[in-house]
Amino acid sequence: MATHLSDEELIKRAKKGDERAFTQLVRRYESLVYSFAFKVCRNEEKASETWQDTFVNVFRKLHQFDGRSKFTTWLYSIVTNSCRMKRRQRKLDKASVSIESPTESHDGSDDDPSVLTIPPWKDTPLDAVIDKELRTLLDEAIQRLPYDYRVVFVLRDVEGMSAEETGKILKLSVPAVKSRLRRARVFLREQLNPYMTA
Amino acid sequence: MKRIHKHSALCREVARHIQNQLDAELLSPACREIRKHLRRCPTCTAYLDSLKKTVLLYRRYPDPHVPAIMREKLFAILKTTT
Ligand SMILES: [Zn+2]
Repeated sequence: MATHLSDEELIKRAKKGDERAFTQLVRRYESLVYSFAFKVCRNEEKASETWQDTFVNVFRKLHQFDGRSKFTTWLYSIVTNSCRMKRRQRKLDKASVSIESPTESHDGSDDDPSVLTIPPWKDTPLDAVIDKELRTLLDEAIQRLPYDYRVVFVLRDVEGMSAEETGKILKLSVPAVKSRLRRARVFLREQLNPYMTA
Repeated sequence: MKRIHKHSALCREVARHIQNQLDAELLSPACREIRKHLRRCPTCTAYLDSLKKTVLLYRRYPDPHVPAIMREKLFAILKTTT
């Protein structure tokens, strides 16, 4: 089959039961789904399970996709739902900490740089390899971030989605997306700070 | 003794702004005061730099590859779901 068919055409054919069109669709998006699932789960086994669940759900629910949103938006929402179901089944949220700050609603003072002087961070040259040690550190830091914040951070800052698209995917308002993103960034910065100033 | 940098209300405002925007909108005229402050305040500059590096590190985290066996498993499952 020609590989240049548009998503719309592939979806149309797949809906009619064209297996090759569906295979083509999987091929086109398998890396995106896997990489996103991995970045959210931070674990290969869970990412693989989420990846599989996602495409099984795409297969089952493709007839519900009406083309009003972008296919990728729909796809990301299926991934995040699959991921959420998995977490619920396994109760994985125990390890992450709460970053809801009780002071925020009173005076908004939760977000000051918490020290008087901020030590400068090490340089991170663009071509530097993220070695195993750093990778582990990044994995551990983001796993401590509660899922609802982590998924916003990955969609916005890593995948480069707009606040509007992220809101659509997660069924959140744009201000909620922005507030979670801000807190996620601050939290991750704090986590990496000791390592990056050492 | 070294003078300790004291956070002004402006520092707090700048911190809030860069947590939200990083440096995305700093070039706009509305952010003139923030730019001016950043030129003078090493604390806020270091803070912005560290937030940008946080995002950059996660962006540069290498993409994992889809294990080939997963594809086979998936299509085997789909054959039984129809
Ligand atoms: Zn300042």
